[in-house]
Amino acid sequence: MGRNVAIISVGYNGRFISKRPDINIPELIQPAVNNALSKTKLKPEHIDAYVVGNMHTFEGVNQPHLWASDHFNGSGKPVMRIATGGTTGASVYQAAYYHVASGMYDVVMAIGWEKQDEGDSQVGLMGILLPEAFSLFHFGPDTTSDRGIAGLGGGGSTGGAAFQAMSYLTRANAGIEHIDRVAALMRSNAAKNPYAHLQQPGCTEADIAGTPIISYPLRFGHTCPTSCGAIAMILVSEEKAKKFGLTDRVAWVKGLGSGTSDATTGNLIEGQITDPAEQQICKITAKKVYSMAGIKDPRKDIQVAEVYSGFSHQDLMWPERLGLFDEGMAPKMLDKGVYAIDGELPINPSGGVTSTNAIGASAMVRVGEAALQVMGLAEGGHQVQRKIENAVAHGWGGLFQFVTITVLGKTPVKK
Amino acid sequence: MTEETRIIESTWDLTAYQFKIEADALNLFVKGLKDKKILGRKCRVCGTVYVPGPTYCRKCLVDIDQVVEVSQEGRLDAFTVSLADVRGKPVENPFISCTVKLDGTDSFLMGVLEGWTDWRSVKEGMRVKVVFKDVTQGALADLSHFQLI
Amino acid sequence: MNERVAIVGYKQTKHTVDSPVARERMIYELVKSLYHDMGITKDDIDTFVLASNDFTDGRTISEVFMVPRIGAYMKDETKVEADGLNAALYAYLRILSGLYNTALVIGFSMAGSEFRVPLTQAYTMDPAYERPRGLINFYSTAALQAGAYMKKYRFSDEDLAQLTLKNIRNANNNPFAARKEPDASVDTILGSRPLYLPLRQAHVSTYADGACAVVLSSKKTAKKFTDKPVWIDGVGHVMDTYYVGDRDLLAMNHLTAAAKKAYKMAGIKNPKKEIDLAEIHTNFASEEPVLAEAMGLFKPGSGKDVVKNGESAITGALPVNPSGGPLGANPINATGLIRLAEASAQLRKEAGQNQIKGAKTAVVHAQDGPGAQLNTVFIVRR
Repeated sequence: MGRNVAIISVGYNGRFISKRPDINIPELIQPAVNNALSKTKLKPEHIDAYVVGNMHTFEGVNQPHLWASDHFNGSGKPVMRIATGGTTGASVYQAAYYHVASGMYDVVMAIGWEKQDEGDSQVGLMGILLPEAFSLFHFGPDTTSDRGIAGLGGGGSTGGAAFQAMSYLTRANAGIEHIDRVAALMRSNAAKNPYAHLQQPGCTEADIAGTPIISYPLRFGHTCPTSCGAIAMILVSEEKAKKFGLTDRVAWVKGLGSGTSDATTGNLIEGQITDPAEQQICKITAKKVYSMAGIKDPRKDIQVAEVYSGFSHQDLMWPERLGLFDEGMAPKMLDKGVYAIDGELPINPSGGVTSTNAIGASAMVRVGEAALQVMGLAEGGHQVQRKIENAVAHGWGGLFQFVTITVLGKTPVKK
Repeated sequence: MTEETRIIESTWDLTAYQFKIEADALNLFVKGLKDKKILGRKCRVCGTVYVPGPTYCRKCLVDIDQVVEVSQEGRLDAFTVSLADVRGKPVENPFISCTVKLDGTDSFLMGVLEGWTDWRSVKEGMRVKVVFKDVTQGALADLSHFQLI
Repeated sequence: MNERVAIVGYKQTKHTVDSPVARERMIYELVKSLYHDMGITKDDIDTFVLASNDFTDGRTISEVFMVPRIGAYMKDETKVEADGLNAALYAYLRILSGLYNTALVIGFSMAGSEFRVPLTQAYTMDPAYERPRGLINFYSTAALQAGAYMKKYRFSDEDLAQLTLKNIRNANNNPFAARKEPDASVDTILGSRPLYLPLRQAHVSTYADGACAVVLSSKKTAKKFTDKPVWIDGVGHVMDTYYVGDRDLLAMNHLTAAAKKAYKMAGIKNPKKEIDLAEIHTNFASEEPVLAEAMGLFKPGSGKDVVKNGESAITGALPVNPSGGPLGANPINATGLIRLAEASAQLRKEAGQNQIKGAKTAVVHAQDGPGAQLNTVFIVRR
């Protein structure tokens, strides 16, 4: 195994919000970089390499890290760009981990961002399937009724997520009220996180249930906002962490992995064989990551989770697929209060992705929030008060097919 | 916004691309539809049946040359009820999009579900069958919908 | 941790300007035949690293439909959005960490037939200032650099044509190159369409449909795959500043820094003497002397002599782009990775008509951004 690697700092550009017409992409990134540096004694010259990423079709700038390199101090330094859709942020962070674990670099900064007010997110998302959609027109789809194409595409603007949600509810024998309930919890958690976008203190199930249904069982209240924001994290080797005198307030990377299956619910031109609600790839990857982290029973050994949920039913589904609850048990755990910040296994104390979604940043925010929880530095009342030994962070992307998982902990794995 | 900041209009022009797409799977599929058959491909190694059937197996990374006709009945898998348009305006006639696993296949087929009166009574696992248009012409539109049995 | 990493397999497509098959089929066929040649299956690969770009692919999350085509279904996979040599670099780091022993690296693009390269390049420019103004782009940056080099070092249009001709001839003998111009001459090059003078159409790399795949392995497992491993002994990558006006396009200091890092890692003190060949990612013929000199392969400003004495020809003292380089085929995203494959072919004595005798050490280069803003350098040895 590689060298031990620690996250020593997590920086944000500020609160995630819908629109930042006052600044451009480099100006969005720079404050996050400065914020991460300011929480340490490090200066830009101490950073050996940068790993960066966003989803550049959302803003219409190809490889914007070239343009932004001066603003994140990357000029004159090694810079690598990673992009994997929704998992981009976590994939960037994982690449930063390998930069250090390989022994090639000692201090590496990972940066993820999205400035969604500069583009049309729907165009960006449609861009995933557009070539497939174009090709369908060559095979004579039904264009006479509005159901023809919609029937093939499915679920309107929620896309395949509505299928996944329905499938999940059937498996868990749960109802839409459970999705409402978890959505409300996330929005009220977000109110305790000064960086979160949609903050609704005391948000209730009824508040969410009052929003219109888009495609049953998903409502507006179950979907994520489009946010502008950036996150930067600093990763260092064990030797450097010791040298900097930073071994108390750090989060050690204990296990990590990324996996892929095939394009699901949306693979219109070739039969899709993967069940999007079963998430076999998530289970496979979780097993691998836990084994690397020395975690035998995730339910006992992990004290907090940050999962990537673009739609609220996923706040129920992912913890199960990550092995934190038995399959179908998440709604019951939610009702028992296990999910809450003061619960037995808090899920998304940050408010999660349904409260804040700057796509290229989101999967790294999960890792960053998990790190802050381990370090005990989560601000504004969303710090979990129970003792945290290990935290798990998760991301998903593509057409429900990519997954990234990381376990962070208070003590490094013994080599 | 400050005086120094201006918004600049720009585009990402997807029409500037000429995509080449593999047509094998859909070619076979629509050919079958013309004869009111559902055709797919089966991997000789692992036995996975894909509909529409690509010419390679995702699990085994081998070519698939075996064309199979599959059952026109199957199991309702996931579904969603479209109650509003993209702007949130309620639609007059809600409809159900669904994925169906036809008997003997391993992949999900997408389409519109008919044969229900109250969408609340529709459940995953119900039996469905393929309904073709009366006159088929070798197009995706030939598969009209899935009907609850 | 793994201490050494080798290239144990490589393969590229026959690049064309209009591929008869879709990109999905193209990479499927390529990867499958690479596995077949190596006598392995997808299960021998621990991690998959793709190189592509959503803009050049014309779709968001462009790898969505590609990953199952390389055998990554239900396996570990990630994507670098830069030239393929950076994906190789990432795979190298992954293996060095000890978490993986083998990696498949693949870069691909349909730059020949599916999109207009200058359009996707235009999206790289700062959208508020450079893009609408339209003065600075990949072409004009290269032309500024070429003009400066030619003026300062008395490198004539004929010299540039000779250099271009060397690469075209090498490409003619390279079965994978898309560009075949058996009748090319100094005159045809000088007579080709002017673009941004001194640059003409003949100096531009050949945008092509194509892909390249490379298998990397730790020292521990390398023997299992081949008795001809090509070792990655040095790597370096450095970003330059964005604004072209702020850069020294002649000195290319950041490329020098990247090369020095790679040389230091590989224990190379005198690159000119110790390196047997170079595969350099040039988007335009005029970049070759500038980049090669910045990497310390030739004396600064010696381009004229190098061309005249044939030093960079296949039979010369330090052949540059014996494959013909990107002038022969430039399937964007795969181009730098192809340089790695071509260098491996040379070191393994598998380069056919373009084989250099006794090559042991090669330097491989890739670039991203206008005027080679991001440079990546590998040192590989047999």
